[in-house]
Amino acid sequence: MARRSTFTRKMPLVALQLAVACLVLFPFFWMVSVSLKPATEPFAIPARLWPDHPTLENYVLAFRPEFRRYFLNSTIVSGATVLITVPLALLAAYSLTRYQFRVLSAFLAAVILAQFFPAGAMIIPIYKMVKAANLLDTYASLIIAYITITLPVSIWMLRGFLARVPKTLEEAAAIDGASPLRAFFDIVVPLARPGIIATTVFILIVTWQEFLFALAFTSTKEMRTLPVGMNDYIGQYGIRYGELMASSVLVSVPVIAIFFFLQRYFIAGLTAGAVKG
Amino acid sequence: MATAHKGRRSDRWMAYGFMMPAALLVGLFMYWPMIDTFRESLYSTSFINPVPSFVGLATYRKIFADREFWQVVVNSIVWTAGVVFLQNVGGFLIALLLNLRLPGQGLLRSLILLPWVLPGVVAAILWRFMYDPQLGLINSFLIRTGLSDHGVGWLADPGTAMAAVIFVAFWKGFPFSTVVFLAALQNVDQEQVEAAKIDGAGATRRLFDIVLPAILPVVAVNMLLTTILTFNYFDVIYVLTRGGPLNATAIFPTRIYEVGFGQFRFGEAAAYGSLAVLVLVLFVGLLLVAQRMQARAV
Repeated sequence: MARRSTFTRKMPLVALQLAVACLVLFPFFWMVSVSLKPATEPFAIPARLWPDHPTLENYVLAFRPEFRRYFLNSTIVSGATVLITVPLALLAAYSLTRYQFRVLSAFLAAVILAQFFPAGAMIIPIYKMVKAANLLDTYASLIIAYITITLPVSIWMLRGFLARVPKTLEEAAAIDGASPLRAFFDIVVPLARPGIIATTVFILIVTWQEFLFALAFTSTKEMRTLPVGMNDYIGQYGIRYGELMASSVLVSVPVIAIFFFLQRYFIAGLTAGAVKG
Repeated sequence: MATAHKGRRSDRWMAYGFMMPAALLVGLFMYWPMIDTFRESLYSTSFINPVPSFVGLATYRKIFADREFWQVVVNSIVWTAGVVFLQNVGGFLIALLLNLRLPGQGLLRSLILLPWVLPGVVAAILWRFMYDPQLGLINSFLIRTGLSDHGVGWLADPGTAMAAVIFVAFWKGFPFSTVVFLAALQNVDQEQVEAAKIDGAGATRRLFDIVLPAILPVVAVNMLLTTILTFNYFDVIYVLTRGGPLNATAIFPTRIYEVGFGQFRFGEAAAYGSLAVLVLVLFVGLLLVAQRMQARAV
């Protein structure tokens, strides 16, 4: 009897949870469903939840050459940003956790303050710099912009992880005669691996979807990244929602997959930064 | 913390050396542009007149006299306050729900970050389709259930456009708050909660007297973070409405982009940028004061 009463008490809560699940997941279901519908079906009124005649033709159409180019561009820009930002952030975060000089505290304050700067406020001068350096419409312009977007947050996240690496291990290495540099590479870097993975996932999620700088700095189809290319699709082919949704699925799959495989590290990284303040 | 290292000169150089590349980048690409934005706003440059000429504060005077500017200020405040409120209150309530250990919860807990991971442009395109007056699922549902007989032009009507974009930002952003709050809730001292339960404190009492004070620092950080991110958020509004209809959803980032890269009036765009910083600082300042007062009240 006791079990039944907790069950009926929990029923409304379970229903509420189901409603939350619908709110979160239904748009994803709809995106996939429309992407599987033949060309005319999305225009059916009233709308049908499931495709009547599921087909992959939208995916074939979506995978046109320019889309493959956008994909390549996004991969190059995101990948390069990770490869440059993570080592730089790791070095900076390490010196911030291990040493306490006044210059370092000032730097930390500057990094935190920099996160308040609106991208909209900085885009004009950065655009002018990029233009003066003749880098408009190049990968380099976006990589530079993305490093500055992701670097302060990465330093912040990695600092949370490095603070937990016990200092006694390094001290033991120092007694054994290892140089500080040696101790950093042999002890700190391996122990910071979960933090490095979390930061990498974070950078990939941020750069894969960055839109404002990519829109302002690129003008040719050859240099567009996925979000800007996707935005160009609106209207360009009339309203071909099936294709648009198929492209959307293709754009989302890589980040969602990476997120799922590395979710464990990623959530630890997020909460390490946010919860510890 | 690192007192043992303090005196050694080689350590000092290593610390500076490790910091230097990041410091140079932050200085060159964040602090310098920030200063340069203000400098740029004192000059006039346009597509027709590309040679900058010093105009002092004239651009600001012109902007302050412009009704569109004040609409951007009001819109930015409505948008930021609306999204931050929904993301934090909604995110918190859902975190409470997911903290109850109900059947079938594990799956939802691992799927909930999906909207946050979904690229902003993709989310905006998806919702643009769902809001579509003729083909959209939302109107289709309203008509079929008899809640409306003709459907609503969600994004085309100045009366509903702001609410529509706020909802999309809520959908995309609340999972982040939920995950952060959930982590904080799991750190709350359970012995204290149990003790209060034995003392006869009801669920509401336990929430307000023990749980909320314990996670207040996390709530404060999260509200600050969502405020800054929302104020500067560009993708969703740009793709859904481009700031329209009739400027009903124009906020600072969309306005800066339009003035700077649509009309090539860099001086005016820079002035908008400087004012955006000012409004954001005021907004965050107010938030901090409110939080301090609330913390004192608790």
